[in-house]
Amino acid sequence: MSVLVRLRTPVVASVLGLAILALGLSALGYDAFSALTALARGAIGSWYAFTSATLVRAVPLIVIGLGIAISFRAGGLNIGAEGQFSAGAMAATAVGLVVGRWPGFVAIPVVLIAGTLAGAAWVVVPVVLRLRYRVQEVISTLLLNFVAEALVSFMVQGPLQESKRTYPQSDPIAVAARLPLLPGTRLHLGFALAVLLAGLVGIVFSRTIWGFRLKVVGAAPRAAEVTGRMDVDRTTALALLWSGAFAGLAGALEVAGVTYALFLNLSPGYGFTAIAVALIARLNPIGILFAGLGFGALEAGAAGMQRDAGVPAVAVSVVQATIIVVALLAVARARLARPEAAA
Amino acid sequence: MSRIRHLIVAGATFFAAACGRAPEVTKGMRVALITPGSVADAAWNAGAYAGLTMIKDSLGLAVSHQEARTPGAQEEALRAYAAQGYDLVFGHGFEFQQPAERVSAEYPKVVFIITSGERVKGNVAPLIFRLEEGTFLAGIVAGGMSKSGKIGFVGGIELPPIRNGYQGWVNGARSMNGKIETRITYLNSFDDAAAGREAALAMIRLGVDMLHHNADEAGKGVFQAAKESPGVFVFGANADQSALAPDRVLGSAVIDLPRAFLAVAREVKAGRFSPKVESFGLEGGVIRYQPNPAFGGSIPAAIKARLITAQDSIVAGTLRPLGAR
Repeated sequence: MSVLVRLRTPVVASVLGLAILALGLSALGYDAFSALTALARGAIGSWYAFTSATLVRAVPLIVIGLGIAISFRAGGLNIGAEGQFSAGAMAATAVGLVVGRWPGFVAIPVVLIAGTLAGAAWVVVPVVLRLRYRVQEVISTLLLNFVAEALVSFMVQGPLQESKRTYPQSDPIAVAARLPLLPGTRLHLGFALAVLLAGLVGIVFSRTIWGFRLKVVGAAPRAAEVTGRMDVDRTTALALLWSGAFAGLAGALEVAGVTYALFLNLSPGYGFTAIAVALIARLNPIGILFAGLGFGALEAGAAGMQRDAGVPAVAVSVVQATIIVVALLAVARARLARPEAAA
Repeated sequence: MSRIRHLIVAGATFFAAACGRAPEVTKGMRVALITPGSVADAAWNAGAYAGLTMIKDSLGLAVSHQEARTPGAQEEALRAYAAQGYDLVFGHGFEFQQPAERVSAEYPKVVFIITSGERVKGNVAPLIFRLEEGTFLAGIVAGGMSKSGKIGFVGGIELPPIRNGYQGWVNGARSMNGKIETRITYLNSFDDAAAGREAALAMIRLGVDMLHHNADEAGKGVFQAAKESPGVFVFGANADQSALAPDRVLGSAVIDLPRAFLAVAREVKAGRFSPKVESFGLEGGVIRYQPNPAFGGSIPAAIKARLITAQDSIVAGTLRPLGAR
């Protein structure tokens, strides 16, 4: 498939989404041109906006999206990334609070690994339920989101609460555990890691046996079993664990690179938006990189639209939902038209 | 191929338009507000937005608002306003204190006002509202009017100002009826109106007939529960909420956020602002107990008289709504 054809769907979806947005804004009585200009300015209007608003938001979307691609490829429907993100954030905070005496090149990896492991651990229960009792992970992972939310709430008012014990938040993590920033911006090292991971996952998908196995197991589990060389359960289970690990890593990156502490409401729904990111990119890692950037830009631009064009937050959420729906419809249509090209 | 070229040209034009119309640096003073939740909550955030609107209307200043729910988005919004040269930025809640201190270090000229903030640092200053003075008065009415002798409170998240509001409410009720029984639930959310309703209904089943809340959007569920339950009355918080259930709201403990915001904006505009802890109570009318006029006739004179003496004693400092400290 040529690059041009591959790009058609997302470009059409974006243009269509923006057109619907412009119509909707006009219908609501806003000046669509100035609102869209404010959106563009908030997302890419300056080096600062691009790095500190768009790219910072894109990091969790890309990292979680890559994990979702791994599990969806193998037919594992992990929709609990939001909870795994929180698990990673909690672990990263707990570890980040105690590594103050270590040098950064030790402290940072330890914090990130802690988050990654916690994210994977958060998927262990759904995996066991799936393997032993055939409980669908689409339900168990979703339900564990609520457990994670409650656990964060407990943590910031219990074991991880700040030492003053006043507000529901943790103390800031040690300076050594914070990710280096690009000078003059809020962009942290996590972005480089996200790009690197996209490349790695791309190689795994296209060049390794495991990547091939994921695809076969996801596309034709029965056929995979019949070959006698592929353990379907094992492959899907591993894919689910990896997707949890990626979401956990994203949570750790958010704490170590952006907030420096654990709060309630840490994520504005990254775990769900990332599903849209992965699907729009048709589970292609490089596509996820760009879809993540696109959604990051959209959210950053939405904030700009509120600030500079006075478009209320509710209208902004409606717009985002519209673009997701349009994009998914476009993807589904493309898939129907060319079934052989389905990811 | 030409199609792709068209796309690129269109994209570049759009980008250029976005960059070209860089944020206009206006001469006049500009004021921004960042809220942690929807300004349609008829309470905490709505009051702040009303304050911003009043600053625009009566001082003629340019204003802007953004809703930012997550810590990452909140710091980003603070930075964005500071970078665009806004002179006064309201962060509407304690959660803005730490990010505002970080941003203020880079933009020392911008005044950051943190509602319910903790401390002064640089040009970051808190507004403290002693809501407990208003909830004490609400508690007096609840304690005096309760038939069952049981009152209940639904809180959003356990934050110091909310805890204090609850304490004032209980102490006020106890001052009328020493044997009053009190219940409290924290929802761990300011958005979940269904949870607010469930919590209130659970209390009503246990015999509570006087309810109070401090849960913003989630608090609307408490009004819903009262409407469904005969003989149960409710007290509003942060704004005059009589309209949410006109025949069930006896009164509201009000924070006149617009008045407080306007006072700060005036000082900044006149160049008289100096960062300090601004604390508001009953004395200036920023905190007050607002009875629902529909019940004017059905509140006994003894309770009304008690409200007046309690208010005077609180203003005079002889009565402490939070009790002896």
